[in-house]
Amino acid sequence: MSGAKPLSRFHQPIAQPGRRLMHHVGLKFVANKAAGGGGGKALNADIPLVPFIDFLLCIVLFLLASFSSSGELPLDKNIKLPNAGNAMDMIEAPMVAVTGTQILVDGIPAGSTRAILDANRMQKIEELGELLKNKRELWTQLKPGVKFPGNVILQVDRRVPALVVKSVFQTAAFAGYPAVSFMVGKLQK
Amino acid sequence: MAGIDTGGHGGKRATNHEIPLIPFIDFLLCLVLFLIATAVWNHMARIEADANVPGPPKPTPPDKLEPEKELHVSMTGERQFQLKWKQGTTVINTIDVPRKIVEVGDDVTYPDLAEKITKEWQANGTHKTAAAKKLDRAILHTDNSTEFEHVIAVLDAIYAPERDFDVGGGKLEKIPAFQVTFAAE
Repeated sequence: MSGAKPLSRFHQPIAQPGRRLMHHVGLKFVANKAAGGGGGKALNADIPLVPFIDFLLCIVLFLLASFSSSGELPLDKNIKLPNAGNAMDMIEAPMVAVTGTQILVDGIPAGSTRAILDANRMQKIEELGELLKNKRELWTQLKPGVKFPGNVILQVDRRVPALVVKSVFQTAAFAGYPAVSFMVGKLQK
Repeated sequence: MAGIDTGGHGGKRATNHEIPLIPFIDFLLCLVLFLIATAVWNHMARIEADANVPGPPKPTPPDKLEPEKELHVSMTGERQFQLKWKQGTTVINTIDVPRKIVEVGDDVTYPDLAEKITKEWQANGTHKTAAAKKLDRAILHTDNSTEFEHVIAVLDAIYAPERDFDVGGGKLEKIPAFQVTFAAE
């Protein structure tokens, strides 16, 4: 060893800066390909934006065409509706939901079916009747001179007995809603 | 990138413009996401029932109008349905239909009943022409313990027969042949 002082702890000779990594591996053809200068197909490609926009426009048009506001009705999570093939489109009307034992009018509790089931006979549901009457009066106050359509929609779970259905139906009729509809899922004919 | 090339080079301002495609794609993607998020895949429908329930027959009718024929559908029997054509208190015809359930997925249907009701309406229905403003009336009799899905299946069968209806201007529309009410029992 000579007496010269080393420049650093790990003495290295001064070299020209440049690429070093994996330089010793003989893959020159890869470097050529990446640079685009070699043979074959170039790896740099433009994304075809115009077909992509066409595709997006098609999706937008399809979604707009299938967009419908008639089916967007609040459905109680606890209710499993039956389906029917000969059903009509929905209309805007007060929604009476009948779950296991609870009755709701547009989400507001309106009595229970327990009394009907215990008595095992058709009876008027006072709370429901009052709420529906109030809704009818409010409607007539808001639209004076317009005939009240008397529509109401019943959301009834498929397992609810007919006794409860008939009681709710009768209560709605007595409250001034003669046009009663049952909400169903659409069954393909 | 897409661009508009007008070809000119003589003006002050450049007339060649690049259409900004990236913001346009962003906008379209936002629109797609909004429409997918608000899409309703299960469409709801309704089955009508009229609450103008017929009362008990009066001993002396108010006028001499002949009462119309009505189809009474009884689902009180366990093994069969009973179809009864009645005119006032007079029973014209009684037909028994076997209660044959056909399940479609989770749903109950009665295609045999629908077929029989359609045939019965074609043979005995009163309001069949497109000009008729009224509908034939069907009255559903059900016992208290019947589950709602069976009631809907029978209502669906009653609504199976359809007829033309003149909506004005010579335009015809298909409507259900029957108007259904529940029997007051």
